[in-house]
Amino acid sequence: MSGIRGIQLSQSYRHYQVLKDVSFEVAQGECYALFGPNGAGKTTLLKLLATLQKPSSGRFEMMGHDGIRDRNRVREFLLMIAHGSYLYGELDAVENIRFALALRGLSPDAREIKTALDRVGIGAFADFKIRYFSEGMKKRLSIAKAILIRPKVLLMDEPYSSLDERGMKLMNQFIRESTGQGASVLMTSHNRVQSAEVAGKAGVLFQGTLRDIAVKDLAAAHELF
Amino acid sequence: MNFFNVIRWLAWKDLLSEMRSRENISSMFFFALIVILIFSFSFSTDQQTARELMPGIMWVAFVFTGIIGLGKSFTAELQNDCLENLQMNPIPRGAIYLGKLASNLLFMLIVELILFPLFVIFFNLDVFEKIPLFVLILIAGTLGVSSVGTLFSAMTVQIRAREVMLPILLLPLIVPVMIGAVEATGGLLRGDPISLYRPWIELLIVFDVIFTIVSFWVFEFILDH
Repeated sequence: MSGIRGIQLSQSYRHYQVLKDVSFEVAQGECYALFGPNGAGKTTLLKLLATLQKPSSGRFEMMGHDGIRDRNRVREFLLMIAHGSYLYGELDAVENIRFALALRGLSPDAREIKTALDRVGIGAFADFKIRYFSEGMKKRLSIAKAILIRPKVLLMDEPYSSLDERGMKLMNQFIRESTGQGASVLMTSHNRVQSAEVAGKAGVLFQGTLRDIAVKDLAAAHELF
Repeated sequence: MNFFNVIRWLAWKDLLSEMRSRENISSMFFFALIVILIFSFSFSTDQQTARELMPGIMWVAFVFTGIIGLGKSFTAELQNDCLENLQMNPIPRGAIYLGKLASNLLFMLIVELILFPLFVIFFNLDVFEKIPLFVLILIAGTLGVSSVGTLFSAMTVQIRAREVMLPILLLPLIVPVMIGAVEATGGLLRGDPISLYRPWIELLIVFDVIFTIVSFWVFEFILDH
């Protein structure tokens, strides 16, 4: 059973077709890296898969469940790490984690939260309000949240943006660990070098269509699109 | 999914954020204070006139104050794309509505309870024996405004002119609440027998029940579309 399967997904905004019959498959325990120029439709594809939008045509499956008909079931599997950090400015790091996990019916103890925050290098800022966090720190907090949630499907929109070198290593370590535990990861990226370290499959989205490329060619290729 | 836990956590998050920022309550309070001051200096303050005028002035202040708070209820979720996160989570949409309704109702009641003594002082009213019944009218009226207001706040949050659209949509619909609340408060202050203004209290309760149930069911459609 594949973790994520897109079947001829299309999406249009008024007369502009962003995605044209996009089909792909991400196996369980696999990471798929998606590249493409700005405005190619990468984020749109992630939003479709995250059940935030409905496709104009086509369908997708997640862990064998239909993503449109069965979207409440699909939401139980997925977690998205995106540009918006999904964090509340007036709550501190621990409170944000508690809130996010409570919505999934999880209640980690203080030690588990502390361990996760230490792992991503922001343990010292556990009681700082998020509005004082930099974008990189917010991204690290999102990783800590994902470590505790352990989703079966991870959607990541430019996971390396805002992260320093250590943060990028941390992100890759987290992706490897997640795929090692059987999670399916679909990420959009502009960072070919970092993505090549963790991706098992890669593709380029250009003018609405998706074509596969070999991961080994990622770092070497002069131009992808 | 733990339906009541979601309500509890959402209300907790909103209250904690508000206690720290005091953004909502302070703007609501100062608006209402200005209304009270202007009206108290505009009219003579003999008790008879005050009893006639006060219910209308009070509910105008409460409703418009409430609209300020309701307008900010969902816009707070736009920061860091938190609304997207709520949409992606495997939680019942009705629980999100009730969580938001609980926090909106509480904010409005807190402001109203702070303002009520000011009305008593500025309009020279003798109401202490009637407080239990007054609290019932206050809760019923406020629930009517916030039940519909929470729904429309979610409906208008993605609209650019949301500050204009919310009152335009909300005010015509809550006319029965305003009439019922003003008539019931007026009857109470005049010292009328309860049988004379009980129908108005019943109207408020019926409105609350109907619109809370309808909004609860409609909310899923509003949030997902």
